Amino acid sequence: MFRYLMLAGLALFLPGLYALGYSVYQGPSAWMVDSQTFWGTPISLFVFWIGLAHAGTLLSAIFLALGIKLDRRTALIAELSTLVCLVFAAIFPLMHLGVVKNFYMVVPLLDARGGMANVCSPLVWDFCCIAVYALLSLFFFAIHLKSREIPLLEKYRKPMAWLLFPLVLWVHTIVSLDFATTFVPQWRGAFFPLYFIAGAILSGLALVNLLLCTEGYRVRLLERLMLVGSWFMIGFWLWEFLTKGTFCTSAFIFAGVLPQLRIVSFVREHRTGRIFLSLSVLLGLFLERYFLVSPTQGSSSAAPFGWVDMGLVALSVGGFMLLFFGARRKLSLSMESEGTYFGEVDGSDMAMVEEAAREAEALSREKKRGIDLSYIQPWSSDEYKVLHLPLLVGFAAALVFSLWVSAQLPFAASPYENIEVAFANIVPLFYPIAALIAAGELLLAILHHLRQSPDSAHVTFARRISTIFAAILVVFAAVAGTFYAGGASRASAESVEASPLNVENPIEKYIREMSNESAESLPATMDSAEIKLLWNARCAKCHGVDGRFNEKFVREYYPVPQKLDAARIDSLGLDSLEKVVLDGRVNMSAFRGRLTEAEIRGLVAYMRHMAGDLSSSSAGDSAAVDSSAVDSAAAGEAP
Amino acid sequence: MGMDRREFIKSCSLVAVMGLLYGCRKSAVLGDIASQLSVPELKRFEDEVRLAMSQAKKTLDLVKVPTPCALKIPGASTLNRFGMAIDLDACDGCGKCILACNLENNVPLVPDEDAARGRFMHWVELRGNAPFMCAHCGNAPCERVCPTGAANHTPDGLSAMMYKRCTGSRFCGANCPVQARKFNFNDAQKLGLARQFNREVPLRDKGVMEKCSLCLHRLQNDRLAFKTKLSVAATPEDAEWRGRGVKTACAEACPHKAIVFGNWLDEKSPLVQQTKDRILYAPRELAALDPSVVFMRGSR
Repeated sequence: MFRYLMLAGLALFLPGLYALGYSVYQGPSAWMVDSQTFWGTPISLFVFWIGLAHAGTLLSAIFLALGIKLDRRTALIAELSTLVCLVFAAIFPLMHLGVVKNFYMVVPLLDARGGMANVCSPLVWDFCCIAVYALLSLFFFAIHLKSREIPLLEKYRKPMAWLLFPLVLWVHTIVSLDFATTFVPQWRGAFFPLYFIAGAILSGLALVNLLLCTEGYRVRLLERLMLVGSWFMIGFWLWEFLTKGTFCTSAFIFAGVLPQLRIVSFVREHRTGRIFLSLSVLLGLFLERYFLVSPTQGSSSAAPFGWVDMGLVALSVGGFMLLFFGARRKLSLSMESEGTYFGEVDGSDMAMVEEAAREAEALSREKKRGIDLSYIQPWSSDEYKVLHLPLLVGFAAALVFSLWVSAQLPFAASPYENIEVAFANIVPLFYPIAALIAAGELLLAILHHLRQSPDSAHVTFARRISTIFAAILVVFAAVAGTFYAGGASRASAESVEASPLNVENPIEKYIREMSNESAESLPATMDSAEIKLLWNARCAKCHGVDGRFNEKFVREYYPVPQKLDAARIDSLGLDSLEKVVLDGRVNMSAFRGRLTEAEIRGLVAYMRHMAGDLSSSSAGDSAAVDSSAVDSAAAGEAP
Repeated sequence: MGMDRREFIKSCSLVAVMGLLYGCRKSAVLGDIASQLSVPELKRFEDEVRLAMSQAKKTLDLVKVPTPCALKIPGASTLNRFGMAIDLDACDGCGKCILACNLENNVPLVPDEDAARGRFMHWVELRGNAPFMCAHCGNAPCERVCPTGAANHTPDGLSAMMYKRCTGSRFCGANCPVQARKFNFNDAQKLGLARQFNREVPLRDKGVMEKCSLCLHRLQNDRLAFKTKLSVAATPEDAEWRGRGVKTACAEACPHKAIVFGNWLDEKSPLVQQTKDRILYAPRELAALDPSVVFMRGSR
């Protein structure tokens, strides 16, 4: 069964891969883009898949945190589907970029030039939230998977669930803010976060129900929740229709009307019927996302929905099937016999299990009546004891990060000038960072516990995990270091020339006149005041008025230039410095044709002169190179 | 098929060597071929402007706005805020400004299918039979959502673009209420659609956003010239650069002098003097965003 589904997935995935390659090569004009929002299909698919990715954590973590019973197999399937969905939710925003290789500029980390992502942008929030969500979901899934072999892990599941509970709602709120913070009239509305969360939950439930059909059993609770979810969506669609007058009929039919067929027992009791209901909801919600992301689709300015768009849809659907069922099959095959590893329910109808559970619960409730044992003070619960220190540290780290980021915002005269404004814009990053740090601490705690345990298998397991994480950290540090250092940019002289072809540049004219004058009125050519003016006009923008580099300008636009200290200038020699000024170097523009030889010599001498001033320690050196040296160096050009 | 370790290592190193050789090739060869591709005739640019004008939106919804004053962004200059006013009484919609802008800023042509959809790269376009371009809003929504900070505000009030920092997320385009931003869907240089008329302005790569820069390079040239000329003799009031005498390409090209460029904070600027007793308008969507480029009509 899983193998056939995998093959079907592969059959969809391969042509999809071609479409992906083509659209990365061709850029955003390859797919359906409407002229108003410039986004089109990939972003519809992104919103769709990030919605599906909520199923796992929602069902598993929130149910666990709230104490709703869900059997291990269903929970694991939901968590696995989350991870696979996140892969595709990550591919689409990456591939939709105009300059894919610049994606790392979205990460809110400083680089050596002082370049920093704009943390006020919802896209940056998006990137961080989803990255953290993916990491934590993976962690949660791994704990759950291993908890049967290592019972100690069971203790950490509920704290992780509490950590993920707000995060899952947070992520989709942020995704909705991508839209709701803009000026596109169709995207405005304070209800957008709730609307998006409801849509995400509904599509996630539909996906899990569909996956359960392939497992051969059903969970009535989830089916009922799907029905209730569709009522919520109908409410939101009506609200949107009443406030904005937009209505997506196809989404309403597929995700609003058709799911109501669950009340017909014939549909509900047959697997085909249940598959139909889930597929209908998924289709409806995809159409809805499509309608939402491209408000002007169908108008003449939008490109038509072409084969690339179909290919992208096929890529994600096929890729999901391939990855999910591949992983599902692998887990069943390699670990234990099929079915039993994932849970004790082996294909039988869940209704009996649910019934039994309900009876057992009713029994226990009757027993407890009179003595209120069910309520535990929140501050004395086990989860709180495990979680309180990591969360405290997490929030402290998030606070420090937010303050640091606020100081990096451009245009603040003093670093903390607009701290309250900046801070309000960073709030969306706050919880994900805290959760990430807290989860990291939980991981450390788990590893520590495992090492203490008497079972030698646990100790080796812990050691293996620590090694893997150390390796990952090293790789991450290397990547981050590379980003921090940045590459050399192309010298601007290659693409731009300072003088236009037809009109004479006023500066050039001025310089020409100046040099003509100087040629006539021989040796005194450039006096130091003139050179200083020239330096201030042409060089100081990057190198600074005093020869130290101009940090404010440089860190915004260019890589850091060389510090012009005496030792460096002397090691290079004046001749080669003149060459550098003439022909340019890595990021330094060439000034040939823009400065005369005399001016360049004057500038180099001036540079040396300033360097002498800077190195106050070598007093004799600076005495030798004073302003007279500037004059003589400049004069040396015209004997 | 069997492959022993020796063979495996051999083929691996072969591949590595080939890769190295490929990396060592002279990239200039490819660059030369690209630059030898035909540059488009000037006539094609003129034709495209005519086509764009025929497809232009006929209406422009204007509301009254007050005269722009100093920016409220921290770090903004209190001396300069550059902007323009477009005189709707003088403008007859001839479209000369569009061509002038295209040639000044090396705005590329677009392929036919884009032109059919009205997806031109023109920084200036006609709306309601008057030139329309980025308004350089003081409170620009596009800059707020740019994830990398490529769209930024200069202290002098220009909404500027750092092309090298742009990652092409197009969020700014989605958030511009008047769609003044243009996205480079095509590699115009490779398709032979770009021509560098003005060597001072770089050609933009595929995948970045661009828009009206208020002829930033002209302002920068003037600033440089000012600083170079600045001598001890300068009177204190002239000691600061105010961008006097600079004109944008569109303002220069206008036969009716309907486009006035200047410094909103400089009393001597033609912009302040000519808008003094006129009523100022801005597109309805932008009125609340403190635009620097406004329209004027009638007199107070």
